[in-house]
Amino acid sequence: MLMLLISSIIGGVLAGGLCGVVGAICNRLKLTTMAFSMAHAALAGSALALALGADIISLAMLLAIVTAMILGPLADHLRIPIDLASMTLFSLYNALAFIFIISAPGPALMIESVGQLLWGSILAIRPTYIAYLLLASMIVLSLLIIFWGKISSILFDIRLAEAEGVNVKAYKYAMLVIAGMTVTLALRMTGGFLVFSLLYVPAAASLQLQANMKGIIAASWIFGSASASMGLLMSFLYDLPAGSCITIAALIILLAASAYSRLRASLAAGRRA
Amino acid sequence: MEKGLEQNAVELDSVSTYYYGEKRPALRDVTLRIPVGSLALIVGPNGAGKTTLLETILGLLKPRSGRIKVLGYNIPAEASKARALSSYLPQDFMKPPIEPFTAREVVAMGLASSSFSGRLLESGWKKVDRALELLGMMDHADKPFGKLSGGQQQKVLLARAIVREPKLLLLDEPFSAIDLETRSYIVGEIFPGLLRGGCTILLVSHDLDYSSMDADLVIRVVDGRVSQVIMRDAHATH
Repeated sequence: MLMLLISSIIGGVLAGGLCGVVGAICNRLKLTTMAFSMAHAALAGSALALALGADIISLAMLLAIVTAMILGPLADHLRIPIDLASMTLFSLYNALAFIFIISAPGPALMIESVGQLLWGSILAIRPTYIAYLLLASMIVLSLLIIFWGKISSILFDIRLAEAEGVNVKAYKYAMLVIAGMTVTLALRMTGGFLVFSLLYVPAAASLQLQANMKGIIAASWIFGSASASMGLLMSFLYDLPAGSCITIAALIILLAASAYSRLRASLAAGRRA
Repeated sequence: MEKGLEQNAVELDSVSTYYYGEKRPALRDVTLRIPVGSLALIVGPNGAGKTTLLETILGLLKPRSGRIKVLGYNIPAEASKARALSSYLPQDFMKPPIEPFTAREVVAMGLASSSFSGRLLESGWKKVDRALELLGMMDHADKPFGKLSGGQQQKVLLARAIVREPKLLLLDEPFSAIDLETRSYIVGEIFPGLLRGGCTILLVSHDLDYSSMDADLVIRVVDGRVSQVIMRDAHATH
């Protein structure tokens, strides 16, 4: 039991931090809706794996990455904005996820793995899962540290970065693939419907307190980690769905950050007066 | 010819550019030569196609027909190589107050864009500070970019363009928010230094009195066409 609690906290810190960072960057690059369709691609992939009895992470990640790669060409082919293409795929993946879940062997919605898929579970946090999270965190951190100069240029103004010779397309696709990978990993903990709480609520909280991009990314990492570990602890203690508990923890942190930011602003105004 | 030894920094032959879904070309059948080390002023009314011309030259907009060479590189096939040697100051530069980068960081991005990983060494940061100093923005270096005034933001972006030591500098309405005194300083002090170093400057303006600038050629764009090119010598005789 204690081991499960410790591994939950470690998994939460890693997954939450990773989601926080990726969410902050996706939000800045206006990739929010694209991350949305990729998350549901991962959900459909997981459901398909469940129906076929295949490996959940591999199939979820495959579908998320394929989505990242086809979004741009699909939008071009249909002559619609990429956001609209993204939401179209989102609908498709939801439809497929429900079909695959119903097709899963055994009484659908009753089995543990379906529950994990929809609303997350601390039981998903196993040593292999922690190893995957650790590897993904190291990849993301290394890329951010090594390529920060170019990444910051893209985050500031994507068109200007392109005009200066930065291969914006490559960085953007890499970001989408990383987002797909992150969502796939977080999905097992939070469930398909609540994975966005971990992607975007920590980013929103960090924007309350930080004015500098590096600070925003660092704060998103910390808030994401805190949300996930607090949520998993709540889930463990009160036997509630992990995804719901993580979402509530993330929202509590957002409210606290917002209150602190307002208090800080009014104190500063008071000192000026 | 070896790269860098071209006579013309920019060559366009019968270039037409269309915006996505448009049937009417934004640029039509443009043929143009801009010699290395010259200051070219691109003038014309709003919507004439001046910005489209700059973005086509950089390969940001892909031409439907015609041939473009920039600094010896074919555009759009070798656009990234040409862009690495160029700097661009866009027309729509204003950022909101919540912009999470300082002025110094924004200028540093200009250097980061050209290096492999984008990491700056100490010498790079010194260049950044010199560029800020040149534009009189050193006192604002650590302020958030979005909290600077429009004119100050434009000066920071000009510092970013200059710090790259470009071979080709494309400026789209670079003085729209800058006061007259600073404008004179940039035209009288900064531009001549860049031109002496072999940089070619393309400057777009819809309202600039070009007789006040020492331009080598003035290109008038009307309705997507180059309607007139005045060389400096010819201009002097008018």
